[in-house]
Amino acid sequence: MPLLEIRNLCVEFKTRGGVVKAVRGVSYSVEEGELLGVVGESGSGKSVGMLAVMGLLASNGHIASGQILFDGEDISPLAPAFAGNPKAYEEKMKGIRGNRIGMIFQDPMTFLNPVLRVGTQLTEGILCHEKCSREEAKNRAISLMKQVGIPSAEERFRQYPFEFSGGMRQRIVIASALACRPRLIIADEPTTALDVTVQAQILELLRDIAREQNTAVIMITHDLGVVAQLCERVNIMYAGQIVERGTLDEIFYDPRHPYTRGLLRSVCTHGEAGRQGLSSIPGTPPDLLKLNTGCAFMPRCAQAMKICRDYMPVPHAFSSSHCDVCWNDCREAADRVTAQESEG
Amino acid sequence: MEKKTKETKPVVSIRHAKKYFLAGRHLLRPSDYVKAVDDVSFDIMPGETVGLVGESGCGKSTLARTVIRIYEPSAGGIFYHGTDISHLSNARLRPFRAKMQMIFQDPYASLNPRYTVGEIIGEPMKITHMGGKSEREDRVQKLLQQVGLKPDHISRYPHEFSGGQRQRIGIARTLALDPDFIICDEPISALDVSIQAQIINLLEKIQDENGLSYLFIAHDLTMVRHISHKIGVMYLGHLLEFGDADEVYENPLHPYTKALISAAPVPDPEQARTRHRIKLTGEVPSPIHAPAGCPFCTRCPECRPECLLAPPVMANQNGHKVACYQYV
Repeated sequence: MPLLEIRNLCVEFKTRGGVVKAVRGVSYSVEEGELLGVVGESGSGKSVGMLAVMGLLASNGHIASGQILFDGEDISPLAPAFAGNPKAYEEKMKGIRGNRIGMIFQDPMTFLNPVLRVGTQLTEGILCHEKCSREEAKNRAISLMKQVGIPSAEERFRQYPFEFSGGMRQRIVIASALACRPRLIIADEPTTALDVTVQAQILELLRDIAREQNTAVIMITHDLGVVAQLCERVNIMYAGQIVERGTLDEIFYDPRHPYTRGLLRSVCTHGEAGRQGLSSIPGTPPDLLKLNTGCAFMPRCAQAMKICRDYMPVPHAFSSSHCDVCWNDCREAADRVTAQESEG
Repeated sequence: MEKKTKETKPVVSIRHAKKYFLAGRHLLRPSDYVKAVDDVSFDIMPGETVGLVGESGCGKSTLARTVIRIYEPSAGGIFYHGTDISHLSNARLRPFRAKMQMIFQDPYASLNPRYTVGEIIGEPMKITHMGGKSEREDRVQKLLQQVGLKPDHISRYPHEFSGGQRQRIGIARTLALDPDFIICDEPISALDVSIQAQIINLLEKIQDENGLSYLFIAHDLTMVRHISHKIGVMYLGHLLEFGDADEVYENPLHPYTKALISAAPVPDPEQARTRHRIKLTGEVPSPIHAPAGCPFCTRCPECRPECLLAPPVMANQNGHKVACYQYV
């Protein structure tokens, strides 16, 4: 049984301009101890999907449909167990957030409370979720700080966040995510605010933790380099949908969806020299208020066909782990739809 | 890589530039200074891109701002086509201001939301009394076309554009006064991956068309290598290494450059698995209490006793400069 399974998740936001469908029918699963990368540009729904899992959506957003199975139990607010009872849902999530699912956010300074000592913030989660004395919680927190590589942890325990550098702060955030030995860690762009040398340290730390404690990690990022370094499987998201999924090697060495291909071509690798001009994806990401009924990538796609505009493509599997959503990879189905259309 | 060597005189020369900021006055001991830029020298040739890389707080943005005289250098000289502009008054700087422009990191903050695109791009010409109204409008149209925007965009407001398009507007504005030197301060780091390549291609196209020189600041090492002819590596206000882009990447000399290049994530799983990574421990020291010796000595895996005493001098190895005792 997968640790986390998301089935056909849809998330909507009510805005002044209309209803924005930020996540449109996303399904995937994470096994225990697995490192999954979720890649997408801003507005692709990669973060919103995870916030929905944690029940942390902004007040104008809600899950429109779908199931979120954590350890086989549906923890979406739409689950029958919480039907019409938001309080029961909130109670349930309190026991899961920070306890069984840990979260690491992009900016460690906004995550940490500036007027509380780091030690207080680390022990808070432990005291809240587990029955133990303050002394035990303190010892746990200090050993966590040592585990994430903070020197002189005993002294640092009494310091405030402003006394820490960016990389050290992010280590504190990771330590607090680890505090209750969660089975799953959701990391939302954890290294974007950090410098490259510190980023390398943090990625290594995350991988070691996943290996040692058999914790699953969902890594949300827009940086393909980070994914290549850390993840085992990758989901590529565009306009609220997963357009391609596969193992790391399948995505990087055998990309099928035109968006994945474009994305990989537009980042230059170390090996290439010279200024031939980078290949780029033309156009801009779509406005989620004005999507066409078909494939969202169609306006920017070089291989777009007539059918792409009006009909949503169906998933096509290349192997048990690799599939994409593009009419070009399922021509037969495309022909059938076109034939039906011309008949009717 | 094609290099233009028609003119051999540099557009901009930086000679022993220093920029210190006062951090605290004390009665009984000397004042504290943040040594944001400490003794940096290099040249930028016509039609050439010099890339500056380094971690946050290393002084690359301060150096850029000193070069175009947003800041006045604490010591040293900034030469534009041979003229020392490092201590000119605001009035005497005016003619130079037009020729040295800047593209900013954040395309949302750097455009006035109450101006139309036409007003934004036309403003520098209006301020410098360049041409009549219709002449200016023609030029705005030409600039819009050059940066890949449509003619009818002229009457729209910045909020109607995406990040990449806004960056194009910013680029059109910098080109309005026909400069020959542009500072690009992290122009792509706020943009989506698929848009970054578009902007880089545009910058290269404009460079070829207008014969511009760029000082390109970024922390994305692969992009810097792609766009730059020469690269300078900064750390704690010091320039540690300077040379041809490919040379610096293929054959880095300074231990810090080696670590920086090996730490950059490569979008290639095979390389990521096999590549040897140099692990740096610790973090950048505070620029107020910088080490007395080599700025990198606190984290350097190859640190020697002499490194702790005084900062090394730049050694020149066939145009590839490096400040490290290993090469003295």
